Amino acid sequence: MNMLEIKGLRKRFGSIEVLKGIDLSLGKGEVLSIIGSSGGGKTTLLRCMNFLETADSGEIMVNGKSVYHACEGEKPVVTPEAQLSFGLVFQQFNLFPQYSVLENLMLAPKLRAKRKSTIGKRESMEEIRARAEELLATVGLTDKADAYPCQLSGGQQQRVAIARALMLSPEILCFDEPTSALDPELTGEVLRVIRSLKDSERTMIIVTHEMEFARHVSDKVIFIADGVIAEEGTPEEIFDHPQSEKLQAFLSHSQKE
Amino acid sequence: MEQFISITLDLLNGFGETLTIFFVTLLLALPLGLLIAFGSMSRFKPLSALTRGFVWVIRGTPLMLQLLVVYYGPGLVMGQILLTEAYAVYLTFTINYACYFSEIYRGGIESISRGQYEAGKVLGMTKGEVFFKVILLQVVKRIIPPMSNEVITLVKDTSLARVIGYYELIYFAQRYSKNAGLLWPLFYTAVYYLVFTALLTLLFRWLEKKLDYFKT
Repeated sequence: MNMLEIKGLRKRFGSIEVLKGIDLSLGKGEVLSIIGSSGGGKTTLLRCMNFLETADSGEIMVNGKSVYHACEGEKPVVTPEAQLSFGLVFQQFNLFPQYSVLENLMLAPKLRAKRKSTIGKRESMEEIRARAEELLATVGLTDKADAYPCQLSGGQQQRVAIARALMLSPEILCFDEPTSALDPELTGEVLRVIRSLKDSERTMIIVTHEMEFARHVSDKVIFIADGVIAEEGTPEEIFDHPQSEKLQAFLSHSQKE
Repeated sequence: MEQFISITLDLLNGFGETLTIFFVTLLLALPLGLLIAFGSMSRFKPLSALTRGFVWVIRGTPLMLQLLVVYYGPGLVMGQILLTEAYAVYLTFTINYACYFSEIYRGGIESISRGQYEAGKVLGMTKGEVFFKVILLQVVKRIIPPMSNEVITLVKDTSLARVIGYYELIYFAQRYSKNAGLLWPLFYTAVYYLVFTALLTLLFRWLEKKLDYFKT
């Protein structure tokens, strides 16, 4: 069974159709990279999966369970469980500036535990704290636990954001151009963390402009152009044997940069 | 010297009245302003239009005129005065300042990046949690300078209450010029306002410092 299954996802903004029917599937522990030029729909696809945009139609299934199903003209409901199937790391980090690194990690799980406390099954604060410390160690920032986001470099902030997204154990972790806002010398540390997550069998979807990275970290690559998946395959197929002219043109452009 | 002390103490009573207006207004207008801000930001068009229209009227007319309308208005319509001077003053000042505050709040809330809301949402937080746990303190930090301006203006606007016969500091001082021909108590009131606004300035500076540990 596939971890993620997307069928016929469509999204329009006004008169512009940004996604024209996206189908894709991803196995457990697989890493998918999404490449393509700006405005092609990559980020919109990721935002639809994370329910920051509501797709007009289509279905999203996680672990064989439908988490989103929309037909033209209907407003589907997004349950908290559906929301938490996905985690998202933003291009601009979006850490909460008034909280320390550790508090950034613990805020959402704490609030969730508080909400659930009425039902009885409640994760204790000690468990949440232990988990936060463990994840900070994973991204190599144990010594920054009490620092505030404004005291960190961009690369460190993004590593905190990754740890924060992992706090709620999403089935699928998404990255929206995680290194685009970073100085070139800081991208390495973030990419290293993402690579280490791949080793721990995490299912991930990465929208990226880092072609070399995409080639090495992915099990599968899709090339999105004009709202459709123009080409998909293994990294070798996509990067070494591109079939369509569009992809060939896109790759030669990105090499020049 | 004896006269100076007794007048100082008497004016202090008047200043107590001034402070009552100040604190009652602040206590009520701070939360009411947030409600008005939500109203004017509402996606429900009739509500936001109505709220913005109301804010326009309140901000577009003199506070003194509003006091007169609230105090004497009911008398014109129903033949009798409904509110005591004190309640008319509290009501008018609260509504007037809530409208000014609401615009400051709105500016502050709208200046917070969308990414903060989105980060909260993808972490499974509810809208209320995102607002109160993530957005609010960032808004507070941003609006301290304009709010301190408004609050200091309020200290001095309290003197308008005397037009409907609310006995505050200026009124107390004017009695001396009317009854005893003494003008200096009136000028002397400036000291009370200055001391109090100095304290407020220090308070706001402290608050600003307190929130200096993070950047938005």
